[in-house]
Amino acid sequence: MAEPALSLRALEAGYVKGVPIVRGVSLDLAAGEILAVLGPNGAGKSTLVRAIAGLVRRFAGEIRLGGKSISNLPPHRIVAEGFAYVPQLANVFADLTVEENLALGGYMLRRGRAARAARVYELFPDLVGKRQVKAGRLSGGQRQMVAIGRALMVAPRVLALDEPSAGLAPIVVEHVFAMIRRVAEAGTAVLVVEQNVRAALAAADRALVLAEGTGRLAGTAVDVAADPAIARIYLGAPPAAAAAPAEAGP
Amino acid sequence: MTLTIWLQAILDGAVIGATISLGAIGVTLTYAILRFANFAHGEFITWGGYFALAALSAFAGWRDLSAWLGGPIEPFSFGWPLILAALTAILASAALALILDAVFFRRLRRAKIAIASVIGSFGAALVLRNLVVLGYGADPEYFSREIQIAVHFGPGLRITADQILLVGLTAALVATLHLFLTRTQMGRAMRGVRENPDLAAVSGIDVAGVIRATWAIGAALAAVAGVLIGLTIQLRPSIGFDLLLPLFSAAILGGIGSVYGAVLGGLVIGISESVAVLVIGPEYRAAISFGVLILILLVRPQGILGART
Repeated sequence: MAEPALSLRALEAGYVKGVPIVRGVSLDLAAGEILAVLGPNGAGKSTLVRAIAGLVRRFAGEIRLGGKSISNLPPHRIVAEGFAYVPQLANVFADLTVEENLALGGYMLRRGRAARAARVYELFPDLVGKRQVKAGRLSGGQRQMVAIGRALMVAPRVLALDEPSAGLAPIVVEHVFAMIRRVAEAGTAVLVVEQNVRAALAAADRALVLAEGTGRLAGTAVDVAADPAIARIYLGAPPAAAAAPAEAGP
Repeated sequence: MTLTIWLQAILDGAVIGATISLGAIGVTLTYAILRFANFAHGEFITWGGYFALAALSAFAGWRDLSAWLGGPIEPFSFGWPLILAALTAILASAALALILDAVFFRRLRRAKIAIASVIGSFGAALVLRNLVVLGYGADPEYFSREIQIAVHFGPGLRITADQILLVGLTAALVATLHLFLTRTQMGRAMRGVRENPDLAAVSGIDVAGVIRATWAIGAALAAVAGVLIGLTIQLRPSIGFDLLLPLFSAAILGGIGSVYGAVLGGLVIGISESVAVLVIGPEYRAAISFGVLILILLVRPQGILGART
């Protein structure tokens, strides 16, 4: 059986030692699959993805990418192993042009940077005429395209996006999720942290719902969308099924 | 006072300003990328000058090499020995900065207390300055004791060939730095880390490597400034300390974080100090440059080329 593209086992992470924000989260994500990580504010969704990216301290547990442990690697080495992350805020270099943003996305590539950039422009044709425009001057939707394009420059094994729909108009959100589906169809595993439950579940294959740093509900996107427990989690009441932490696995 | 005297003061100020600019670039790069005011930066200027002096002494003691390198290159006051000494000083200063970062500043950075780095840089400056005094004493040193005759530079204006070289070399270094920052991956990475270190890290950029490059480039430019000061004025263990406030004034005036702002700020400070000598005398030279700084910041708080945040 093929190794999952991304695998977490009992991950604990946070900003201050002894105060974990992510508590014992486990998940498996296969190539070409979209996993939505949902949960109310403060559930630890962003901390989870930042911990995988190496930006937040891991206290316990293991993170594996394609079967190889990346638990103790610095962020730039994690990128080299095939994990690309698009933060929610400040996800482009605003003072740099679109072209420079993409060049920095491919910083670790020794060759083939132009070909990768060409593929990004194919995926996001709106950016073609904006190559020399500073990213800070683009619209919210175009910025999101630059941010995703920057992450795709390394042709990642796993693409993680933190709130890709935040602050975008509904029509742009649809476009962004269509792009995410195209990326997954090309074989990249996608992990989407989202507040927009409806849009995320519509695009995802599976979902993991976090509350207070632990997995509370996991399953196919269809099952999670139909589960009445999700509403209770968002409203703050622990579901009856919350006694054992939920694990997202295929 | 005639127009010529004013123009001569501006020309002299531009020469001083060019040197300040080279130092201010390092201050502004360090502040933008490492996010602290490095008060030890002036000492890289001092050490750069003295590294070159040490290399010159070593070359002079090696008779065959000295004879092969020959005497001064007309119309300048120096020859190949000083050029080689300057290159040695650039490498040695970059190495000194990297060692200082590895053994001292990196540890303070890890503590994530910005003020610790600032105060630590004061301590590092004192140690570095006193090491120079220990090695060379407090008396001035010169690369050459030859007197250089100034040449005509426009109607009534005079400038030495070394000073023309100083301004030209500064312009060439700034142009090279511009190309480095805009055309190379490391240059773009430095701009990326300056704007958002976390985003840079998750883009695959080795932020620690960028920090090392920043130290090396800042110290190398400071070493050039030190050599040029030794060439056109004199070397003293206190030159870095004496230049510290003009360096920071230039960096802030131009817009902290902006390389081009630091160059512009250096020229404004150099020219205003030089012109102030004509107006109110040399004893108020520093006060005038700070007056200009305050005036410009009142009108444009982010500095001349700084971005509003």
